[in-house]
Amino acid sequence: MTVKTASAVVAIILGPVLAMPAGAQAPADYSVYPCLSYTLACGKIATRKPQTKTLAGVLNGNAEKGKQLAQARDRGNCLACHVMKGGSQPGTRGPDLSHYGNAGRTDSETYTAVHDMRTRNPETLMPPFGANEILSDPDIRDIVAFLQASK
Amino acid sequence: MRLKFGTLAIAAVASLASAATVIAAGDEAYREHYPQARIDPARGVNGDIGFSDTLPYWRNEEEVERNAKWVGDPNEQWKLNWKFMDLDRIDLHPGHLAVDEGEAMVAKLTKRNPAFFSCLADGAAKLDGLAAGYPKHDATLGRIVTVESRIEHCAKTVLNEDIRQGTPPNNKIAVYFKSLSAGTPIRVDIGDGKVLEAYRRGEKLFYVKTGQLNFACASCHVPGSIMGHKLRGETPTTPFADAAHYPTYRTPVGALESIQERFARCLGQMRTAQIKPGDPAFMDLEVFMTVLSNGYPVSVPSAR
Ligand code: HEC
Ligand code: HEC
Repeated sequence: MTVKTASAVVAIILGPVLAMPAGAQAPADYSVYPCLSYTLACGKIATRKPQTKTLAGVLNGNAEKGKQLAQARDRGNCLACHVMKGGSQPGTRGPDLSHYGNAGRTDSETYTAVHDMRTRNPETLMPPFGANEILSDPDIRDIVAFLQASK
Repeated sequence: MRLKFGTLAIAAVASLASAATVIAAGDEAYREHYPQARIDPARGVNGDIGFSDTLPYWRNEEEVERNAKWVGDPNEQWKLNWKFMDLDRIDLHPGHLAVDEGEAMVAKLTKRNPAFFSCLADGAAKLDGLAAGYPKHDATLGRIVTVESRIEHCAKTVLNEDIRQGTPPNNKIAVYFKSLSAGTPIRVDIGDGKVLEAYRRGEKLFYVKTGQLNFACASCHVPGSIMGHKLRGETPTTPFADAAHYPTYRTPVGALESIQERFARCLGQMRTAQIKPGDPAFMDLEVFMTVLSNGYPVSVPSAR
């Protein structure tokens, strides 16, 4: 017996979801972050503690750039977990952010959350984008601008 | 060929423990953990009841067939835990060819020195059914061995040949070796204290957060995490019974992949420093995951 459609599904299995896309720079060195090894130095590295970072000055972000960063799999890849304006194949684990701009949140609370969501929810699944240097301060400003422009 | 399934009893319901996220012990570095799910290793694959609760859909081929309507449905397919692909026996995928190639390789290496075969079979006359008992603790070697690490070990010690884990020749022999246990329920011996210790270490690794994204395996593979939710193009599934079909033939890339190579791909998604097949941490993770397959039949060759 066979499940007839199985082969068709094989063909659409997708590659790594969050890994570096082909054509990106040499494989990044992640050994400054904790790893699973019992012997390598990274196995003994501590998790970076939750960091409360406040927005300095005015936001001054570029929403269009923020949108690109939020979609890029090797950058924010927010789309892995959130429905957002634009982009394809959104994830479903996080809340829908496609109308975030209507929620009445301030730039600074949004900035702090994207920098490190653990400051709001210690058990969050969301990566600490700022604390772990996935995104820079200007990147996060751009993304916050994009979120606030999503209405 | 048909898969033989024993009747899987539905036992007590496990629940999620709301364990503390942060465990900082003694002089160990501060590490964060995903809250640990309560899994009783003695229940084997039945531990999925009260966990993802998808076992009823894939516990045997009749159920998989009944639910085949979900194949290709982005919301439902994950509940089949890819078992529909183990049933695809008509298309002669290259996983089957690997069985033949692996068989020829074992014959050739055995001809060079019959001690290779007895090493592989750990003294038994035949390989049939043996793979279902792996990983196990080898008292003589004083360490945990997987099918793949035994192949590497025997090639090295008997023939002084490198057939390293995570390489195509090793995977071919492993697929052949495991195919000789196809249909046999997996029985990793947790009564062996060393195996249980490895299980506990593997379990710990499964929940510890690592890498730039600060994910644990559990962030994607336990209830309440991303499991069952879309992560762009994919939906992570239950970790129960995954070990049963490895090494598998990966259709998208046209290559065999051992379970430890699959771990490495998940580490890549987590943006975590890589470790190599055969690394003690991977051995422990494989023990953990194979215990979660206890009672489920070996399903090799397979495709993914
Ligand atoms: C791995 C999953 C994941 C990724 C990737 C992710 N998030 Fe989240 N996000 C969540 C979850 C889950 C929540 C719900 C709150 C919680 O559990 O901490 C959340 C909540 C939020 C919130 C708060 C929403 C509200 O209504 O208060 C914002 C804003 C947000 N995420 C923005 C982002 C941005 C921007 C990115 C990318 C740079 C991103 N997220 C990437 C999982 C994720
Ligand atoms: C960011 C999400 C994510 C993390 C973290 C993650 N995985 Fe995965 N994993 C996936 C996805 C998506 C798949 C493909 C769908 C599936 O089979 O679950 C997958 C598949 C697998 C498979 C193959 C299942 C099969 O039936 O073929 C194994 C085994 C596995 N993961 C183990 C692990 C281990 C061990 C870890 C930690 C070292 C881990 N995963 C961490 C997302 C993740």
